Amino acid sequence: MTEAVGRTGRAFAAAARDARAAWRLPATLAAILVLAALLLPLVVTDPLQLQDLSGGLYLALAATGLAFALGLGGMPSLCQGAFMAVGAFTAALLRARTGAGPIESALGGLALTTLAGIGLGAGFVRLGRVQFAVATWLFAWMVALGLAAFPSISGGANGIAIPDSGFGVTWHYELALVLVCLACLAFFAVARGAPGLALSALRQRPAAALALGVRATRLRLGAFVVSAALGGLSGSLSVQLQGIADPTGYGPFLSFKLLVAVVLGGMSTALGAVTGLAALSGLTELSHWIGSLERLSAARFDPMLFAILVLVVLGLGGAGIVPWLRRLFPWMGGRAGRALAATSPTRRRGATLTAEGIRRRFGGLVALDGLELEARPGAIVALIGPNGSGKTTALRILSGTLTPDAGRLELDATPLDGTGIADRVRLGVVRTLQRTAVFEELTALENVLAGAHRRYGSAARTVLATPKARAEDRAQRAAALATLEQVGLEEAAQAPAGTLSASEQRRLMLASALATNPRVLLLDEISAGGTAEDVRKLGAILAGLREDGLSIVLVEHNLRLVRDVASTIIVLDQGRPIATGTAGEVAALPQVQAAYLGRHRL
Amino acid sequence: MRRALPILAVVAALAAGCGGSGSKTQQNLTLVVNGSFSKTPYVAETIANGAQLALLELPLGKSFTVGDTTYNVKVERSDNAGSPVKAVANVRRAVADDAIAILDEGTGVDASWRVANEAHIPIGIVYQGGVGLVDPARRGNVFRIAPTDHGLAFRLAEYLVPKGLKVALLHDDSGYGGQGAQALDKAFASNPEAVATRMTLPSSATDLAPQLLAARRAGATAVLVWAQGPVIAKALIAARSAGWNVPFYTPSAGADPVVRQSLADHPDWVDGLTFASGRLTAEEGPNPFYAFSSKYRTAFGVEEVGVKTRRGEEVVQPPEYAMYAYDFVRLLIAAIQAAGGVDDRAKLLAAMNEVTIQGANGDERAFNEKNHEGVIDDDVYFARFRDMTYEPVKDDPLSATLPTIAQTGQ
Repeated sequence: MTEAVGRTGRAFAAAARDARAAWRLPATLAAILVLAALLLPLVVTDPLQLQDLSGGLYLALAATGLAFALGLGGMPSLCQGAFMAVGAFTAALLRARTGAGPIESALGGLALTTLAGIGLGAGFVRLGRVQFAVATWLFAWMVALGLAAFPSISGGANGIAIPDSGFGVTWHYELALVLVCLACLAFFAVARGAPGLALSALRQRPAAALALGVRATRLRLGAFVVSAALGGLSGSLSVQLQGIADPTGYGPFLSFKLLVAVVLGGMSTALGAVTGLAALSGLTELSHWIGSLERLSAARFDPMLFAILVLVVLGLGGAGIVPWLRRLFPWMGGRAGRALAATSPTRRRGATLTAEGIRRRFGGLVALDGLELEARPGAIVALIGPNGSGKTTALRILSGTLTPDAGRLELDATPLDGTGIADRVRLGVVRTLQRTAVFEELTALENVLAGAHRRYGSAARTVLATPKARAEDRAQRAAALATLEQVGLEEAAQAPAGTLSASEQRRLMLASALATNPRVLLLDEISAGGTAEDVRKLGAILAGLREDGLSIVLVEHNLRLVRDVASTIIVLDQGRPIATGTAGEVAALPQVQAAYLGRHRL
Repeated sequence: MRRALPILAVVAALAAGCGGSGSKTQQNLTLVVNGSFSKTPYVAETIANGAQLALLELPLGKSFTVGDTTYNVKVERSDNAGSPVKAVANVRRAVADDAIAILDEGTGVDASWRVANEAHIPIGIVYQGGVGLVDPARRGNVFRIAPTDHGLAFRLAEYLVPKGLKVALLHDDSGYGGQGAQALDKAFASNPEAVATRMTLPSSATDLAPQLLAARRAGATAVLVWAQGPVIAKALIAARSAGWNVPFYTPSAGADPVVRQSLADHPDWVDGLTFASGRLTAEEGPNPFYAFSSKYRTAFGVEEVGVKTRRGEEVVQPPEYAMYAYDFVRLLIAAIQAAGGVDDRAKLLAAMNEVTIQGANGDERAFNEKNHEGVIDDDVYFARFRDMTYEPVKDDPLSATLPTIAQTGQ
């Protein structure tokens, strides 16, 4: 018991140390702002103003929820208002018809919305962005029309009156404020943690992220469900603040308004949704003014002004208010490069990847036929050949992107049949893409951490910042820095990946792949576009990895690099291997010279 | 200092003189009209005008004195746009502004009564007749001066069933329509053979032809539409344009000017439309209502419907709902006087159950602890349109005794 108390005390002390170390001016300002907001009811004595503020905060909670789907998951959800409706009417029905208490009703609303999020998400998150937007928009309409069509559930035009909860408006205000703060902190933690980096990678370069083993469906579903749950919680609490559930209050325009708020404030920032909503309330005042000029309801102008605003934001690059402010006032960014020491390089353990009789057709075209390959630990197998000879097809089959029509693939004598990309990454087979594909909005260090996402930081642990999660985070950052050192990019650790040179970006891709802790590395034209010096550096890196015991399959056009590092060379022509051997052996073969080398020399 | 002494003495004397006599105080009171000014302006404006007229008639013109306090009363319009949430928010605002009472058309009262009740503020419903809205035991602050849905529905059933009609019971998806449908279900429950079909009409639909066609196919020989004015007009247009000339019956909303405005090109389609409403005249005849009508016209002008009779006379709308609002405000002022002012709101609320006034149509208006309905069910009569004006029907015992209110050319 005493020991447990001691351990807990030490954990809290460590957490406090970590918090102090990470504390910056923006955090101080935010803390002051939150404290002032908590004390606001002492100053604002008008219950109506407090009521409006509470309603606004509940809306901010729903908008922050939407930011999880839109900002983190890259899913343009247009049904957040519908989730609010599900939460609101569940809570209202529980309160009015079963006599459930306010907390139980809110939890009921939260539970049903979460289930709805899981159900919808399972069908929607695999869709492309346009289809996703359309599907969620249809769901928003479906809920609105459903509420109108079933007055026995929605209370019809009179809505459902909710019995008095006994909680005053101040209670709602404080609760809403705390929930919004927690939601923003959760967004902040997840965005900086492994799930957020993986989602960010997925949003920026889906193919590259998938190649690193990011489980797109699971992560997107998680973001969508969190989004739905926060929307439902917001609805189930705000309806009790209002005292009545009005079906007309949850039309598709509410979802549109929330989307506009998130886009306007900055979808990838924790405070974007709150800032966007605050800006929109100013815009609503403008609507009232225009409405008063025309003697018409402001509701006629709101959608028009919101739409114009979205167009303006998108026209200016789509970043939103908070990122613009950060650009104007860099001290607000608060992204302090943590002082990190690289750990000693990870000890790598290779595996034997065997391919036998691999065949793949695309319609009438035989892209690959009869590929035999064995990549062993501490060896580099190079695939060379003219364009269209089947090299990349071979890598795609080895990585799980494509399924072979015939042939056998084994990793350490274990068949790889039926395993997808993510499974192969988990087993240690990882591939870099042919084209340069780094995650430009992330720093170089974060690019590497995105590769390591699978190995640390579940969303729940990340949000709660448990001692284990913080320890893992520290360890992974140190390991990521070591990986950057290994590819010669340690100086660029905090630089946005988009600012690196093409050659550095290729090495960064390699570092991201290494962060997955691979046993077999599949590299597709890793030296493309590099200078002779770049290729020399790359050769040294590959030689080092080979010495570490990693198995590497290299597709390359740079024959000098191939000659320098490859243990075995397989020459492909029109999908068929025409030679296998060392550099000297294959170079001497006339068919290789005729098909590929020509005037070049290996 | 010596020079200042006489001045100080004069000021002191003046101050003493001012405080010497009985001190008169002024207090401003706000009467909030919570109505759908943007969606159904006729009803909301009429309610506001009725309240305004009651205030204009006060001895000091919008002011009256109780004890040493002179109360200046103003009417404030709060638009709820037909939304219960906005209606509740309006009541919250009224409570925060310490309103003396709320005149309400009924939207959102299920939730707003509690907000007002905590501050002992009376709510006077002067349009909607939903049965559950008024409950003296639970909702002690809610009063109504308007025909109840229960009364209208049972009188309609009582009137239609003996005619042997197969009635299509249609209602719109508004709160007004929903409450009416509930009342009609109960009213026709013991005569199910008289009901051909029941249907909900979507308020937002531009064409109700499919619904009316379905009613026709169900074998209806009459249509009863419980809906807001615009929906009644659309239902009539859908039926008549298809050549279906069955009789149409409605609650009070059938007299909404918007029905006749929508059918101005087809006045013959309005002919025969019969509606049920609270009678405008009392046993003593139409004179009290005419007097009220005259005062209303003087204050706000003639309320033209916007259509003409076949002889070219302008049709004028009698201020029916203004009458109910007018009566409620006069009851409120009587209660304030009975309570000795507005300082003790609980006492004022209790006084609402004790005072009696003579209403605009000559009837007595009063509430008591067990009854907060100002219009009794027996006062429901039927009127039928002919040539864009209406007159009481002759085939109903009560209606046959009522005079026709003049509605043209004034």
